[in-house]
Amino acid sequence: MKKLVYDIINKLNAQNITYADVRFTDTDSQQIYFEKGKLKYFGSNMDSLALGIRVLADGCWGFAGTTILTQTSIDKTIKKAISNARVGSKFRKKSASFRKLKPVQDSYFFKPIEDPFLMDDKYKIDFHEKVAQKLVGNDKIVYSFVYSEFYRQYKIFANTEGTLVDSLVYDSMPKMYVLASNGRESMSRNWPGDMNGQRGGFEVIRNVKLEENTDRIIEEAIKLLDAPRIEEERADLIIGNGHLALQLHESVGHATEADRIFGKEISYAGKTFIKPAMLGNFKYGSDIVNIYSDSTNQGGMGFHIVDDEGTPGAKVDIIKNGILVDQQTSQENAAILGVKPSSNMMASFADDIPLIRMTNFCLAPGKGSLDDLIKSTENGYYIDFTKTWSIDDNRNNFQFTTEIGWKIENGELKHIVKEPTYFGITPEFWAACDGICGEEEWNFQGTFHCGKGEPGQSMHLSHGVAPARFKNIVCNVKA
Amino acid sequence: MEFQKELSKICEKYPQLKLNFHYKIWETDFLRFYQSQINYNISKTSISLSTTIYKGKKSYSFSLKDSTKEILQSKIDDVLDLIDQLPEDPDFVDLEDDLSKSAEKEKTNNIEKVSLEKKIDILEKFSKAVESYDFKIYGTFICNYRTLYIINSNGLDKREISSPIYLECKAVNQKNEVTVLEAYGGERFESFNEEEFISNLTKKAKAATAEVVDVDAGEYEVVLAPRCIGEYFMYLESSINLSSLDSKQSYFEGKLNSQVFPENITITDDPQHPELINFDYNGDGHVYKKLPIIEKGVFKNFFVDNYYGRKLKMETNGANGGALVMDTGDKTLDEMIGSVKRGLYISSLHYMNFINPKETSITGLTRDGTFLIEDGRITKVVNNLRFTENISDIIEGITEIENKSYTIPYSSNYGEFGIYSVRMPHVKVNGFKISSSTRTV
Repeated sequence: MKKLVYDIINKLNAQNITYADVRFTDTDSQQIYFEKGKLKYFGSNMDSLALGIRVLADGCWGFAGTTILTQTSIDKTIKKAISNARVGSKFRKKSASFRKLKPVQDSYFFKPIEDPFLMDDKYKIDFHEKVAQKLVGNDKIVYSFVYSEFYRQYKIFANTEGTLVDSLVYDSMPKMYVLASNGRESMSRNWPGDMNGQRGGFEVIRNVKLEENTDRIIEEAIKLLDAPRIEEERADLIIGNGHLALQLHESVGHATEADRIFGKEISYAGKTFIKPAMLGNFKYGSDIVNIYSDSTNQGGMGFHIVDDEGTPGAKVDIIKNGILVDQQTSQENAAILGVKPSSNMMASFADDIPLIRMTNFCLAPGKGSLDDLIKSTENGYYIDFTKTWSIDDNRNNFQFTTEIGWKIENGELKHIVKEPTYFGITPEFWAACDGICGEEEWNFQGTFHCGKGEPGQSMHLSHGVAPARFKNIVCNVKA
Repeated sequence: MEFQKELSKICEKYPQLKLNFHYKIWETDFLRFYQSQINYNISKTSISLSTTIYKGKKSYSFSLKDSTKEILQSKIDDVLDLIDQLPEDPDFVDLEDDLSKSAEKEKTNNIEKVSLEKKIDILEKFSKAVESYDFKIYGTFICNYRTLYIINSNGLDKREISSPIYLECKAVNQKNEVTVLEAYGGERFESFNEEEFISNLTKKAKAATAEVVDVDAGEYEVVLAPRCIGEYFMYLESSINLSSLDSKQSYFEGKLNSQVFPENITITDDPQHPELINFDYNGDGHVYKKLPIIEKGVFKNFFVDNYYGRKLKMETNGANGGALVMDTGDKTLDEMIGSVKRGLYISSLHYMNFINPKETSITGLTRDGTFLIEDGRITKVVNNLRFTENISDIIEGITEIENKSYTIPYSSNYGEFGIYSVRMPHVKVNGFKISSSTRTV
């Protein structure tokens, strides 16, 4: 396939174009889904081959992608990418630009501890069936599922600057869920949370200890039916890693994608409240808030040698001591903003156009354990396990509901509360952060399902987080 | 031999199995624009085959891109070694066995009909029209062309062609970023009225030059644009799907043939409506016909597919909510706005998510033009607002319905890029709960 990619680059180099990149992906995935104790779906998408060609010509981007890899189809795809750029340039007032990049030639092959694609399928089914069986049998549990997904992608990236990188990665994502009902209302509990994707193979599934946590989520879901709701108008909230990853994702991650500043995502994903003039001076959070994009950390799903336009992986501070200092950028947007490209241009498959995407987007750890943070909280709630999320077009006003919370009184966890729902304005919320746990509590959370772009793309990405406390948050929102 | 014809033969080759194929040839031509210029143009072509193999009540599914007969057969043979080891799904009965077909009309390929040059020509006119108000245009202009073959071991051999067009144009004020939206969706480009589109977009841009204000949280009388009420009903579809009844998460559990909403509410799923993007079949390959969902406020039907229909002993109806139509009322939009003393006009919604689907409690935001109505007139632009509300309460609160309806397109961005449409009028709602302001437009 490298030869095929070389040949396409050679053909593109023979054209009068400014820049082009070519990607080839070969993607495998497998899904196992048990519902109410029964196997409802076992399936795979194997050897999904795709090719994408992006061209900058006459100051405009054109893209064409295909899953048909015959020579006729490839030639048609090259032609279409070029003509999409050239025709598009007729409605382009300012030319798109692309800075020269230093060529990179490298390979990266991740090796999982347990390769889910080489394992015995029967073993994987038995493993999940055992968990599924433990989720049924209680009269109050009216619905349950256990689901795992395995993913492997081989990618070749090449551009007309001389870069050629190939890579192989494995990601896995487990989840189980129960719904309890008393006939009047229903309450859910899931494990290990919604940000449950990780770089790795079957070891990811083992590490979250599904079977060991079935009793816990059944018990908690049933207890939630009779649990109180938060009654205070405002409270101090300690947010656990699973949900904090989503809070970071929605209110900082997407807000600091530079394409939103320029309105490139208005039609679907939205805008951002951030303006270019805010870089270097806008107070985004309290002094202890440090947030960075890090595509050099091999532990997260956002690791890469180069992004999907050839920019080498990078660790870039986005918020430093509470001040907004940079953005997640592409080559083109970085040039407009006058910053160094952050290596955030990524596409889900080769036949998708690259967009500015989070890679490993992280909240830097502070100090101390979760126990220490709880002990230092006089009155508040510890909340986790996302239930509902929503944020506005400008990433300024968010409202989240978690499945469960624990009342904290005088530094101790007390009773549980159902569906804690809190609301905030992004910079005010992050300014209210007065405690972040240390390295010992910091880990990667992740998702396979970050949606952006049209046609839509679902991206795999990670968030490094440690539990954090936010003071005096509005937490009594009801329908 | 064409690949789809090979699929029927492969079904015959494995009499011990039940095979179900979805063979899809899909193309898109996708233009994205921003700041009154092209962002990028995308063309994509994809051929995919989704296969489910049943042996008794045991099953395995797989998808292949641009497959050949040889690759497919080899994959089926691989599955034969595995399938006996899998646990059964006792609720599976059979694949679709109703061989009746819809009209299976040929359709114009709108990718060819609406060329990139033509799209640019239209966008340049939009751009000029709003320029004088200091607005620029942002959005997407898409044409898809898809041929889907649904073939199975029960002799099913059906084909559905669709070629939707989706044009979403947002005009954004260059000073304060107030945004307004106009959209077109359909399969017959002849129905696109360029002049009317430009006139509507310009009117909205003009209204959006008014002063921007904030409003307090609280209950408001609101006029919801057709896009908004359409979206609320689309969210309710999760409760109308039979799978939600099976998972005990349906608002409509125990409410079949009961009065659930006011008598002025009638909703039909009409996949052959002449003003909507049309569909012939549901995912099973069952003919997808017009079906009443809410009739004068009475809940009439769930969307019943084969699997859950057989499990819950309900007759398959093939509906899936892809083409909702709301009956019109007797008020003009001017009368509806004119009767509001102090309230809101809401153009569009954003990022809704259920808090509790069974209770229909939801949170979300307004977007693309929220306006203050004072003494029966739109007077100011309002910052985008958050609502936290039960959808059932919003529908209960509908007091007036416009005497005309509009086609509203929606794009589905997860999985395959799909385009759907609904036909909805404006509605007036009492007691709409605003829970906070976003402080931005």
